[in-house]
Amino acid sequence: MPDSQPILEVHDLHVHFKMLAGIVRAVDGVDFTVERGRCLGIVGESGCGKSVTARSILRLLPSSDTSGQILYHPDGDDEPIDLVSLDAKGDAIRAIRGKDIAMIFQEPMTSLTPVYTIGEQIMESIRKHQDLSEEEAQALAISMLNKVGIPDAERRFGDYPHQMSGGMRQRVMIAIALCCEPRVLIADEPTTALDVTIQAQILRLIRSLQQDLDMSVIMITHDLSVIAQLADFVVVMYLGQMAEKAPVVELFQDPKHPYTQALLRSIVRPDTPPREQLHSISGSVPDPRNAPSGCRFRNRCPSVHDRCVEDPPVVEFGPQHSATCWLYVDE
Amino acid sequence: MPDTPILQVENLSKFFPVQRGLLRRTVGHVKAVNDVTFTVNKGECLGLVGESGCGKTTVARCLLRLVEPDQGRILLHGERQTFDIASASRKEMLDVRRQMQIIFQDPFSSLDPRWRVTDVIAEPLMAQKVGRGEAGRRVLEILPTVGLGPHFADRFPHELSGGERQRVSIARALIVSPPLVVADEPVSALDVSVRSQIINLLLDLQSQMNLTYVFIAHDLSIVKHISHRIAVMYLGRLVELGTTQQVFEECKHPYTKALLASVLIPDPTHREQSYVLEGEVPSPLNPPSGCHFSTRCPFAQEQCSAEEPELRDMGDGHWVRCHFAEELDLSEEIFAPQFDTPTASN
Repeated sequence: MPDSQPILEVHDLHVHFKMLAGIVRAVDGVDFTVERGRCLGIVGESGCGKSVTARSILRLLPSSDTSGQILYHPDGDDEPIDLVSLDAKGDAIRAIRGKDIAMIFQEPMTSLTPVYTIGEQIMESIRKHQDLSEEEAQALAISMLNKVGIPDAERRFGDYPHQMSGGMRQRVMIAIALCCEPRVLIADEPTTALDVTIQAQILRLIRSLQQDLDMSVIMITHDLSVIAQLADFVVVMYLGQMAEKAPVVELFQDPKHPYTQALLRSIVRPDTPPREQLHSISGSVPDPRNAPSGCRFRNRCPSVHDRCVEDPPVVEFGPQHSATCWLYVDE
Repeated sequence: MPDTPILQVENLSKFFPVQRGLLRRTVGHVKAVNDVTFTVNKGECLGLVGESGCGKTTVARCLLRLVEPDQGRILLHGERQTFDIASASRKEMLDVRRQMQIIFQDPFSSLDPRWRVTDVIAEPLMAQKVGRGEAGRRVLEILPTVGLGPHFADRFPHELSGGERQRVSIARALIVSPPLVVADEPVSALDVSVRSQIINLLLDLQSQMNLTYVFIAHDLSIVKHISHRIAVMYLGRLVELGTTQQVFEECKHPYTKALLASVLIPDPTHREQSYVLEGEVPSPLNPPSGCHFSTRCPFAQEQCSAEEPELRDMGDGHWVRCHFAEELDLSEEIFAPQFDTPTASN
């Protein structure tokens, strides 16, 4: 790899929520690095903590207990900034949020406000972070709408979100996220609510913008096909813990964690024989409040062992490939 | 499998009026389902695919008369008699629903939160005037069939996971032993690790109970896996109908080709196959003239926007709605590559 400079490093991240029913360990010990100009995929099922991880990077979580480090490396030789140590409502994080690190949310239906035109919503972000006049901001907003593939952008500029389709609204979200040329884009299930042909368009758009702007992308999804198509490096999460992380080809060709193996076996591939029984994982994802101790996957794991009641170790399989599992440790 | 039709849908149409203004004047119609004809054979699974707004869910709802069809016939060949669902009386519908049931998409909203599982599953029996004792006994019989223990009978929906809820929905559909089941996106709301369990269950039940399925989904890999034949819809029209082999390997409609090409392949070393269809599905209120797909079709010619093509038989039960179905060569990789392929690491 030509340049493998880290832009974002997450070390031993824990996010706990205090609920009436007890503490929910939404994220429990996550480590990963996002490299400049690369795409990191975070994959997992509901409740695995992938969205909480994303939101904690931008400090968007209400009253949570966050510990660990999230180091953001700004341009040049400046010291990295630990985002966890910043005040969630302070100016320092606000200067980064939306400018250096931007986010696209899952539902384009609910994440735009219905009472402003899309043009006003894009300009809000531009004028917050850049010292531009009204006219300049408007010109930039229209050029962003063009860039994300909205036809007739000048006319659509005055549209309200309800006048647009789901795919178009998601493009507006992307335009808002990209108008300040962020160095990191966090995309939280950006295509889940969309049709397949529109999904393909949006993913191609994110990919080409990533290359054009030399941007880093964190792609959060439950869909292994999206990961296979876009990510360079993958983190697999299960119930707040990191099951495995690896470069994308290695993960698909040589998965180590039983959860990753089972997930990859359970999806339908083009060469899966029709109408044959699919591999499946028994049971379902438990409630995060009742997560098992030790390895959280152990009550569904086909290779479960007595040792699994204790916290599993991180086993390295290569410079960038590791799995959190007892299976590879001799007794 | 001998082809005995169990369900024949003929020229089915459903138009929803669009009303505007103070007086609620009708200003137009959304042609949600427009002249759709297909047959479902006994023991097979017919997949119905298309993007949102194509009318696949409206077809499902018409089949059970959850919405009133405007035109056409829906013939259900029951064990003793044939019903036309589109014009059946209330009393006849009671018989029809003993032969045909539906599984809905979202197991979180399709179960009444105040009802215990046993009451949810027994409801179709109550509608058929089966006694309470008998109904309770049949609920306990069906629970193990869908992979749930007897202790689930007294639970409430909120105590169940998504997969368990969908098992309850399946039990509710099967409690009256219908030969035909319509499944409207039965797995799309479920977690990846649970999805394959439910697909396996549907496959198992089909062979055990000799069921016929109409399986509606937008996930083409799953439809391909489970279906014998596939119908593709676009803007209320059926555009292609054929066996899974014909539709997936020998498709003749450019829209089907585009849909297949936008399926993401779960293999990071194959990033080049994806093709991106430009534009979006036009508004069904005002569909393009001629062939509805002509505005997005890479092969569109003058004739396409002037004249609407008929659904034509290409032989061996392969139906296509395209003027140029014979001439187009869709076997080639005609579309531009989407993503560059990463080199194998290290």
